Amino acid sequence: MNAVNRLPAPAGRFLDRSHCVTLRFEGRDYPAFRGDTIASALAAHGVRVLSRSFKYHRPRGVFSLAGHDANGLVQLPDEPNVRAEATPVPEGIDVSGQNYVGSLEHDWLAAIGWLSPMLPVAFYYKAFYRPRGVWRYWETVLRRFAGLGRVNMRAHPGYSDKMHLFADIAVIGGGPAGLSAALAAAAAGAEVVLVDEQAHWGGALNYARFDAAGVRGAQLADELGARIAAEPRIRGLRTATCTGWFADNFLSIVQGNRLFKLRAGAVVLATGAIAQPMIFRNNDLPGVMLGTAAQRLMRQYGVRPGLRAVVATANEDGYGVALDLLDAGTHVAAVVDLRSRPDPGPLSEALVARSVPVICGHAVAEALPGPGRRSLRAVDVRVVTGEGRLGTSPIVIPCDLLCISVGYTPAGHLACQAGGQLKYDGELAMLALDAMPSSHCVAAGSVNGAFNLDSVLAEGVHAGWRAAGLAGIAAGAEPPLPARRDGAVGQNHAWPIFPHPRGRDFVDLDEDLVVADILNSIADGYDDLDLVKRYSTVVMGPSQGRHSALNTLRLTYRAGGRELHGATVTTQRPPYQPEPVEVLAGRGYQPTRLSPMHHRHVALGAQMMPVGTWLRPAHYGTVDQRAAAIEAEVRAVHEGVGLIDVSTLGKLEIRGPDAAELLDRIYTSTYRNQPAGRARYVLATDATGVIVDDGVACRMGAQHYYVTATTSGVDTVYRGMMRWNAEWRLDVDVANVTAAYAAVNLAGPRAREVLAGVGVDVDLADFPYMGVRCGHVAGIPARLLRVGFVGEPGYEIHVPAGQGEALWDSLMAGGAPAGIRPFGVEAQRVLRLEKGHIIVAQDTDGITFPHEVDMAWAIAAKKSFFVGKRAIDVQAARPLQRRLVGFRLAADANPPEECCLVVRGADIVGRVTSVARSRVAGCVIGLAYVAPDQAEPGSRFHIRQVDGGILEAEVVALPFYDPGNRRQEI
Amino acid sequence: MTDIAPDSLSRRSFVYHKLRSLGARFREHEGAAVAVSIGEVAVEAAQARVMALCDLSPLSRCGFKGKGAADWLAGQGLPLPDVNRALRHANGVLVARLGAADFMVLDGLQRGASMARELAAQWERQANVPGTRGYPVPRQDSYCWFCASGARAPEMLATICAVDLRLHRFAPGCIAQTQAAQLNVVVIRADLGTVPAFHLFADSASAGYWWDCIVDAMREFAGRPVGLDALCELKA
Repeated sequence: MNAVNRLPAPAGRFLDRSHCVTLRFEGRDYPAFRGDTIASALAAHGVRVLSRSFKYHRPRGVFSLAGHDANGLVQLPDEPNVRAEATPVPEGIDVSGQNYVGSLEHDWLAAIGWLSPMLPVAFYYKAFYRPRGVWRYWETVLRRFAGLGRVNMRAHPGYSDKMHLFADIAVIGGGPAGLSAALAAAAAGAEVVLVDEQAHWGGALNYARFDAAGVRGAQLADELGARIAAEPRIRGLRTATCTGWFADNFLSIVQGNRLFKLRAGAVVLATGAIAQPMIFRNNDLPGVMLGTAAQRLMRQYGVRPGLRAVVATANEDGYGVALDLLDAGTHVAAVVDLRSRPDPGPLSEALVARSVPVICGHAVAEALPGPGRRSLRAVDVRVVTGEGRLGTSPIVIPCDLLCISVGYTPAGHLACQAGGQLKYDGELAMLALDAMPSSHCVAAGSVNGAFNLDSVLAEGVHAGWRAAGLAGIAAGAEPPLPARRDGAVGQNHAWPIFPHPRGRDFVDLDEDLVVADILNSIADGYDDLDLVKRYSTVVMGPSQGRHSALNTLRLTYRAGGRELHGATVTTQRPPYQPEPVEVLAGRGYQPTRLSPMHHRHVALGAQMMPVGTWLRPAHYGTVDQRAAAIEAEVRAVHEGVGLIDVSTLGKLEIRGPDAAELLDRIYTSTYRNQPAGRARYVLATDATGVIVDDGVACRMGAQHYYVTATTSGVDTVYRGMMRWNAEWRLDVDVANVTAAYAAVNLAGPRAREVLAGVGVDVDLADFPYMGVRCGHVAGIPARLLRVGFVGEPGYEIHVPAGQGEALWDSLMAGGAPAGIRPFGVEAQRVLRLEKGHIIVAQDTDGITFPHEVDMAWAIAAKKSFFVGKRAIDVQAARPLQRRLVGFRLAADANPPEECCLVVRGADIVGRVTSVARSRVAGCVIGLAYVAPDQAEPGSRFHIRQVDGGILEAEVVALPFYDPGNRRQEI
Repeated sequence: MTDIAPDSLSRRSFVYHKLRSLGARFREHEGAAVAVSIGEVAVEAAQARVMALCDLSPLSRCGFKGKGAADWLAGQGLPLPDVNRALRHANGVLVARLGAADFMVLDGLQRGASMARELAAQWERQANVPGTRGYPVPRQDSYCWFCASGARAPEMLATICAVDLRLHRFAPGCIAQTQAAQLNVVVIRADLGTVPAFHLFADSASAGYWWDCIVDAMREFAGRPVGLDALCELKA
């Protein structure tokens, strides 16, 4: 397949003609070169239509070729809305147009265009709100007709990440101003990060014509690019878009699948200017494009944009476009100059010398479409009779290309985010950057209104010098600063807007909004620019007003009879370009904590479950064996010996002369009188008296406590201790040593036998319930606690985490003769439930205070203070609203799920917090909140099950198992 | 020294399962199994000059904090750096000052008498002697200890950490107590000879997660895990 429009070298600065690639678009293959974008590759083959428009499904083609507009949004299999003008040819990937039914060439939904008179601005606000609720129906219908690309819900997210960058100076924009600024800043000794959207340095130097010979831009780009490459202080980021400026010069930059977060001492914004469209009928046809787009096609990609062209211009740059077209072999049928008496310049004089007809004082009234509106056939040119008015006598000029060059607007998004403002300058007929903050940012080049190339370069040098100073780098004598906005006069035409009686005069190509839509918004009462924006959605599309904001401002102010000079545009918010959500997300970080014995659990077939940030064994064995496994694990603890990994328990070292005082203030009980070598239950409440954590405090010495906390609560407890002690100033040190210690609970009637068997240097015969000892287990230094959380004799053994796995191995091996069995969290829940022990945050909630869960025993009433005491005293003086009780169901009852409601008639009086089938109790047992008058043993209450059924439960005294605690004496 | 199975000793690294799956060779090092190499030591040393990750978790370290800790450590003959700085002792021990009264003492890479363990033992021996000496902190087991080495280490770290760790901004002896990959980490710059080295300390329970994050991040820079011997080569 021949690329009919491909130009020979040296055209195509961005192409590597030694490497061929293939673009597959709409099912056809198009040979291209490395360096081609999707749009340039298609243009080389004469493919004009890239996609369909948002609302009317009009064929759309190349418009800016800068990736600045929505015309070139195409669909990739796993990614919608890809900018064809800025995306390199993706080899091996099918590319297609967007938003059509049928084919890109013949879109059935293009018929909507005929209905446009019935679809005025904001028609959906007015049409689909009655009857109430109907919008939900219409929304699904309308979504099918309008929109952008399709999200592939089965697409696998790619790899994306983030990187932090640091620089003395960030220079955004790799055009003449940005390159000069970067070099000047680097010469001053600054570290510079230089960012540009294109793959090659140079910006407008790569495509615009600055001299009659048409060589200066490329020469300068090469020269500056070489100097940048040779400067070690400059880090260049190409094909990278700075999408936002944030406080303290924090910049977001997207490059491929990476989001850079750049922190800079000072920022130079050299973001350039964006060529602006002219408004006339059918100004969206494929073949109508900005003059800069045609120049990009020719100079950057070696593509001839058309065979027969008309250039509509109002400045000298349009003549440069015409010269470029001539050089590319395009026949320039005419240059239509909106100005009646244009000032001669070197480019216009060069063009006249080449005998191209120039029609002054005229403008394009209408672009005449070819078949299917997929191309341009001719233009209807008429004399300009006044502001926005044309004569009645048409001059029809056949052509397949219309290039527009009527002015620019600053690419001032970042500048505005940094504190600047874009104000309409009546003299220049241009939005001009104003009020730039002087403390951290400098603007340079055409974004700052400089259009004379020499001035742009000088401004860049000055900006680099100034930015270095802002970054605290002595940069020597101040370089000369050219006159402000040099070359800006005459760049913009004041009113390149020629509304047509039959419409299709597009102001915003993204949203298919025409002049009448803007005027009707104002007529509807939305006369402020911000209201026009929100009512009509103008400037809210993917291009964010790059090509529509200026003309919308003109139309709105003029229709409202207001003075344009000094008018400002709507707020410019990040991002400057669309940011893929997956790039914003970056790598998925989800810290997971593992006990030192984790791999042993996995090897034993444990089903791991998340507990806070930890993974813990739920039970051992396959999922379908869950119930049997839990029952067997419970039975092992009751009848033999079981081993559970409790490394996830929170652990705190409290040391110092005031250690006991701290505990007395934090926890509800008393600890100053606790003997060394003993453990005591701890219950923590917050300032409102709500239970927040529990555990045990082990007194290791006169000034040393080792305190355990719940797995998910320890961080809160630790922070609370630190916060309170910042106020109390006690002489105490608090250390969170949760990860430093591994811990197991060896439990069951044969636990002592196993412990003795693996070797322990602690006298087990003199080791009472709630005793604490230090010694060695299997040669490993250990802290041993005699606790009874699971209702059987048990030893909680805490060892350095690095030796936790060795401890586990020793106990499992040593316990084998006794039939030791590992047990998981689920079995532990059953065992503790049988003993009536609560689990904080499961059996309590955000308003539970101790008396509701029958834990007044854990409160030292005589203490003058602990955190929450006053609130608990107040609550205790009032009647209880609910109580946590133990209950049982018939042995054959279907257990309710945790959190099932306790109901009394139509009223909710509580909920089930824990429930399990207990072999030793011979029935289903549980804990539930009930009304206080239902709390006496023998009372009955009702549980509403998930399926709506009602279960009757009987309140029983706690615990369900071993009420005399005699098992601890075994 | 002969190779050993990493679980033949009671003290084990928090990531020895990962290293074993890579084919690492382990040797005893102060009562713990340490991965000394995964491939050829010379190749790994060359790798470590560019970008490598090494598990130093089994090496000895200890911590002391609280009132009196600084004086007590000075009394043991250790140089005390400024806050958020680390100082290398003549015998290779690195003293890192994490706060005004918060110290971490790290043994050098070479085998020999462990100063960190001796300090911990000395503190225990004096436990009943009147006076304030601060409190020992179990840094050996609360932190895993990884070393990211090589010229490209700062770039790799920039993908997971927001602190400016570039070599000319984060000089040898600097400490950053920050977050990386959503973990609290301590980063200490302590070069190995002329090779940049960042010693990374994070929650030992998150060691596996942290290891995987770094391995993933350094893939872009052709970084690989290496054994202790490679770092010793650099040091030599």
